[in-house]
Formats: sequence, structure tokens, C-alpha cells
Amino acid sequence: MKRPWLVLAGGLAAALLAYGGSYFIGSAPCRSLEDSKTPELAWLQKEFHIPDAEFTRISKLHEDYLAGCAERCRRIDAKNADLQKMLAGAGAVTPGIEQALLDAARLRAECQKAMLQHFYEVSQTMPPEQGRRYLAWVTARTLGSQHAIMTSDPHAAHEHRSE
Amino acid sequence: MKPEISSEENSALRKILREWKVGSPLAPRFDEQVWQRIARAEDTAATPWILFRNWMAEAFARPAMAVGYVTVLLLAGLIAGSWQARASSERAGAALGSRYVQMVDPYQMPRH
Repeated sequence: MKRPWLVLAGGLAAALLAYGGSYFIGSAPCRSLEDSKTPELAWLQKEFHIPDAEFTRISKLHEDYLAGCAERCRRIDAKNADLQKMLAGAGAVTPGIEQALLDAARLRAECQKAMLQHFYEVSQTMPPEQGRRYLAWVTARTLGSQHAIMTSDPHAAHEHRSE
Repeated sequence: MKPEISSEENSALRKILREWKVGSPLAPRFDEQVWQRIARAEDTAATPWILFRNWMAEAFARPAMAVGYVTVLLLAGLIAGSWQARASSERAGAALGSRYVQMVDPYQMPRH
């Protein structure tokens, strides 16, 4: 009477082992991405099939871009702080406030221009087909998404009405 | 206390018993009714657990059935594991893609 129980337990053990083994093997590439030094860039390399040499160049571009980005953000923060000071004591839009708003907008535009420039450089470093795919993907999620975020937010700054 | 039976009385009893014949006929379908009563008694004793145990013992006694059972479970485990790995890899990939976008877009990134 022992044999049927052994078969029953053996089948269940085999199923569990097979599940664990296939999960472990199937998720290994993903785990190796997460374990890498820069998981986001490792993902980029895998997703867009970037050869190692090109990936090294893209990593350098990425590093340089982030350094510049930090500096631009610092300037935007400083400009916003100035603007807040002016707004605190003002009862109307003064020429000073108008100039500060224009400066802040110019800085934001510079920021977006640098971002777009970075996307072009990265896409041109990739194999052509993947570069086009990357550009479409990344612009849809950055420049293409901002207005959608504003209009989908119930507390959005403005809404478009087709009345 | 059992009363003592002498060997003479014993042999006389045996003789009478040998000569005894049942005169009255059996009820119609007597055999069938007896078997039905036996079957009913067995049915009421068989719980689902006992039925399962008996079925399992009978099924797994056949090597082909045992091998088939283990193979099916093995395949089910393999398919479920790889499907689960694929789903979690897709989720992790989407999360890494979002993190990349947050890194490069100053309007989505956490402040430097």
C-alpha cells in the first residue's frame, strides 16, 4: 500500500521542482539586469539590442547628460526661488516678475532641448532600426506625455473643452 | 459452566444432524437478495476517502498510469513556472523602462 503514496508524493514533488526550476531559469535574465550596476541602462541595452561597443558610448552619453541635467535643474530651482521672493511682495505682474517667468520658461525649454538632443545622440549610436524604435518610445513617454498628464489630472491646471 | 457431554451423546447428536434435512423451500431470488445486502453494507462503509484510496491504489498499481501521472504533473510545473517567470520578467522590464525615463526626463525624475 506504500507504493501509491510514493507515486502521489513523487508526482507532487516533481511538479514543485519543475515549477521552481523553470521559474529560476526563466527569470535569470531579469535578475541579472537587476543585479547590474546600472539596471536601467542594462535594460536599455537588452531592450534595444545594443552591441557592447555602442553601449559603452551610450553609457558615457548618459553620464554626461545627467551631469548637465543636474546643473540645469539647479539653475531652474534658483530661478524659481527668485520668482517666489518676487511673488511674496507683489500685488500684480510687475516687469520683474514677467522677466523672471520668461527666464524660467527659457530654462525649462533649454532643459527639454538638451533632453531631446540626448535622445537623438543615443538613438544615433544604436543600430538604425533600434534607434528609430528607441526615439519613438522615449519621446512618447517624455515629451508626448506631459500634456496628457496635465489634462488627465482632475486637478489639472487647464482643460480642453470642445464646446 | 458448560454441561459435560458424553462421547455417546455427542455421536448421537452428530448422527441426528447428518440425517436432518431442511424441508421448507428458500424464498424466491434468495441468493440475489443476499448479495444485494452485502453490496449495500459495503457501500455504506465506503467513505470518499476510502474510495479515493482504493482508486489510487488500483490506478498507481499500473506502471503506465503512474508514469503518466508524474509526467503530467512535471509538465504542468514546467509550464506554470516558465509562464510565471515570463510574466514577472515583463513586469520587471516595464518597471525598468519607467525608471530609465524617470532618469532622463527632468519633469519625471526625483529632484537631484
